[in-house]
Amino acid sequence: MGYLVAAYGVLWAVSFGLVFSMVLRQRRLDAELQAVRLLVEEESDLEAGQ
Amino acid sequence: MKRQRETLLLGMTILSAVLVLVALYLALIGAPDADLSSETGRYAQRIIYFHIATAWVGFLAFFVTFVGGVGYLRTQRRVWDIVALSSAEIGTVFMLGVLVSGSIWAKPAWGVWWVWDERLTISLVQFLIYVGYLMLRTSVEDPSRRARFAAVYGIVAFISVPINFIAIRLWRTQHPLMFGIEGGGLSDNMMFAFAFTLISFSIWYTTLMWHRIRLEQFRDDVEQLKQKFLA
Repeated sequence: MGYLVAAYGVLWAVSFGLVFSMVLRQRRLDAELQAVRLLVEEESDLEAGQ
Repeated sequence: MKRQRETLLLGMTILSAVLVLVALYLALIGAPDADLSSETGRYAQRIIYFHIATAWVGFLAFFVTFVGGVGYLRTQRRVWDIVALSSAEIGTVFMLGVLVSGSIWAKPAWGVWWVWDERLTISLVQFLIYVGYLMLRTSVEDPSRRARFAAVYGIVAFISVPINFIAIRLWRTQHPLMFGIEGGGLSDNMMFAFAFTLISFSIWYTTLMWHRIRLEQFRDDVEQLKQKFLA
């Protein structure tokens, strides 16, 4: 029984690891996109001020 | 159109989760016990349902990487490179699952965690080959060179799949042959659980691919925006 639990545990852990890494990368990209958006807004504010 | 696609992806994700849970039920409870004398052996035999389905996804993923490589070399279109990368990543993760779950099954079945027989060694080498593929991608800076190198590597690396598949048919290995010319040795209920698991995992792989490709395209969009505004 222990081997069965261990094997399925590992398979689930590996699968969730993959999904989790994809979620993390998505979040990192969201943050990057947010940073670029802020930069664009700042730049257009500066241009509007000149 | 985009909204429809997002809804479809959500539907696929939910469907995959439900199917994999049903497959888990079939593998652990639904399928009948194997005709084995020891209790440990009967429990351990249930590992095989997910072990083989995981290997199937690994092989399928490496085939898609091969197709992506051919597609990229023929068209030079980035989408093929994304397909190849996404599939190689998923395949490598699943192959890791195959190696570990197989090793856990081997302990009660053979009394050892690992033997250096042809099938196991080829599986390990295959896993390392695709780890190499992912490492290669991180080591080349220029995107078009990276895609070209990766495409060639992905095509050549695919040779490991048929070799791995025929290893237990070609050599006298310790690894059991589930489906040979003489038949599989599975009862109808076992075969149903097995087929259901294979189909569920294939749909799960498709869903994972969709998510992974979407992520890579999103990365490209962010990169383009950065180039555009930071230049």
